[in-house]
Amino acid sequence: MTSLVTFDHATLGYGRRVVLSDLTFSISEGDFLGIVGPNGSGKTTILRAILGGLKPLQGAVTLAPNLRYGYVPQRDQVDYNFPLKVVDVVMMGRYDRIGLGRRPGANDRRLACDALDHVGILDLSDQPLNALSGGQKQRTLIARALVGQPNVLILDEPTNGMDLVATTQILGLVRELHERDGLTVLMVSHALNEVANYVERIALVMDGGFRIGMVDEIMSSSVLSGMYRIPVDVDSVNGHRIVVARRDDSQSDIAHTPQSYIEAHVHAAAEPASKPDA
Amino acid sequence: MLDAVLLFREALYGTVVIALACSVLGVYVVLRRIVFVGAALAELSSAGIALALWLAGQGIALGLSTHPIALSLVATIAGVLFFGSGSGRGRVPPDATIGVTYAVAAAVGILLISKAAHGEAHDLFLQGNILGITRTDTLVLLAVAIPVLLVHAAFYKEFLFVSFDRETARTLGFQVGFWNLFLYFTLGLVIAFAMQFAGVLLVFNFLVLPAVTGLLISRSMGGTFTWSIAAALIAAVVGFSVSVPLDLPSGPAIIAVSGLIALVGFGVRLAQRR
Repeated sequence: MTSLVTFDHATLGYGRRVVLSDLTFSISEGDFLGIVGPNGSGKTTILRAILGGLKPLQGAVTLAPNLRYGYVPQRDQVDYNFPLKVVDVVMMGRYDRIGLGRRPGANDRRLACDALDHVGILDLSDQPLNALSGGQKQRTLIARALVGQPNVLILDEPTNGMDLVATTQILGLVRELHERDGLTVLMVSHALNEVANYVERIALVMDGGFRIGMVDEIMSSSVLSGMYRIPVDVDSVNGHRIVVARRDDSQSDIAHTPQSYIEAHVHAAAEPASKPDA
Repeated sequence: MLDAVLLFREALYGTVVIALACSVLGVYVVLRRIVFVGAALAELSSAGIALALWLAGQGIALGLSTHPIALSLVATIAGVLFFGSGSGRGRVPPDATIGVTYAVAAAVGILLISKAAHGEAHDLFLQGNILGITRTDTLVLLAVAIPVLLVHAAFYKEFLFVSFDRETARTLGFQVGFWNLFLYFTLGLVIAFAMQFAGVLLVFNFLVLPAVTGLLISRSMGGTFTWSIAAALIAAVVGFSVSVPLDLPSGPAIIAVSGLIALVGFGVRLAQRR
C-alpha cells in the first residue's frame, strides 16, 4: 500500500522541549488509525506534525505528494455564533479550490449538498449551524471535510462532549466512510474504549511513550498496563472490547466492574443506529 | 430643522461614511469577540493624535499639528501588529493585555494633550467633532473607506474562513496569520481615520451596536452585514438630524439612536423565537 505519511525517527517538540522522540511509523492508503492517549500526552503534537504545522526537531516526517487532508477539528474550535447555514459551512471545504477572491458557485453548492447527503443530513442544508445538535454539527464538519475529496480524513476528538447515542452514530459513520468509500481515516481521541472498537490500528501515546500496532496487539492487558503504568484488564462483552483499570482491592475481572460502566461503554461501542440523531 | 441639517450636510456625509465602514468591519469585531480590541485601537489612535499635538507644541514637528493622523496611524498600526499577530498571548490573558493597552493609551493621550499647546481646543480631536467635518475630510474618509470595503467584498471568503475556523483554514493552506493581520490592518486604518472626527466613543459605537443589531435580526452573514449597515446609517442620519436643531451633542445623540435600534433588534429576535 502507498504510504501517505511517514515518520522516520522523528523527534517532536516545541523549542527545546521534546514531547515525543524517535517516532517511526507510517500511515498508508486505506488505513484506519486511532491515535489515543490522555490529554497532554502528545496526540496533538503528532497531529500538528502530520498536518504540516510542526517540523520535527530531529528525523523526518514525509508527506506523500498531492496529499489532501479532510480535517474535522474539535467542536469547540469552531465558533457557532457565526450566522451560517449548514451548506455554507460545508462549502468552506472547497474554499481553497475556488481561488483567491472568488465566491463559491452552483457547482460548489451541489458538491456540498452531495457531501451532506453522504453523511445523512441533506435535509438540514439550509438550517442555521447553531440550531443543530452536537451530532448534527459533527456531521456537518465531516461533510465539510469530505467535500474537498481528501486522501485522508482526520478527526480530532470527534466525540468530545457527545452523549452515548451521538457518539455511537458518529463513530459508526466514520467507520462506514472507511469501509464503504475506502477512505483513509486518522482519528485522534482520549477515549480508548470508544476508538478501539472502530479502528484497525491504534497508536498509544502516553507520558512520552509511543506504541503502535493492530488493535488486537495493543488491546492486551500487558501492553496497556505497561503504557498506563497501572494494572489494566481488557475484557470483551458481545464482541466489544472494554478496558478497565483494575481496582487495588481485587484481581478484577468484568464481574467486578460496575454494571453502569459496562453498559455505557458497550453501548458506545455498538453499531450505529439507523438514523442520525435529532 | 431641515435647513439646520443642510447647513452641516458635509458633516453628515462624513458621518455616514464612518458609519458605513465601521458597521461592515464591526460584524467581524463582534463575531470574533474582539470588541475591546476595537476600543483599544481607538484609544491608541487618540494617543497618537495627542502625541502629534504635544510634539508640535514643543516645536519638534510643527507639521503634525495640522496632520496628527500621521502619528495616529503609526500608533494604531503598532496596535494592529501587536493584537493581529497574537502577541501578548503568554502568561497575561489576552483580555488583560487589551485592558492594559486601553487604559495606558487613554491615560497617555490625556496627559499629552494636557501639556500640548492649545490643549483644550485640541481636545476636540480626542472627543470627536463630527460637526467640523469638511468636504475635504469626507473625501479623505471616502478614500480610505472605499478601498477597505472593496477589499472586504473581494476577500470575504478568506476573512470569513480564518475568523470562523482558523485551524481548518490552516489545513487547507490558508495563510491564517496573514489574513488575520490584514483584517486587523483594515480595522486599524478605518479606526485611525474615523477617530480624528468621530472620537473614541462614536467609533466604538459604530463598531459594535450596528453589528449586534444585525446579528439579532438576521440568521445569515449577508443579512447581518445588511442590517448592520442599515442600523448604522439610520442611527447616523436620525441622530445627526435630531441633534443639530435641538442643539444636542451629535455623537451621543447618534449613539442613543443606535441603542434604540438595537433594542428594536432585540424585540425582533424575541418575536422570531415565538
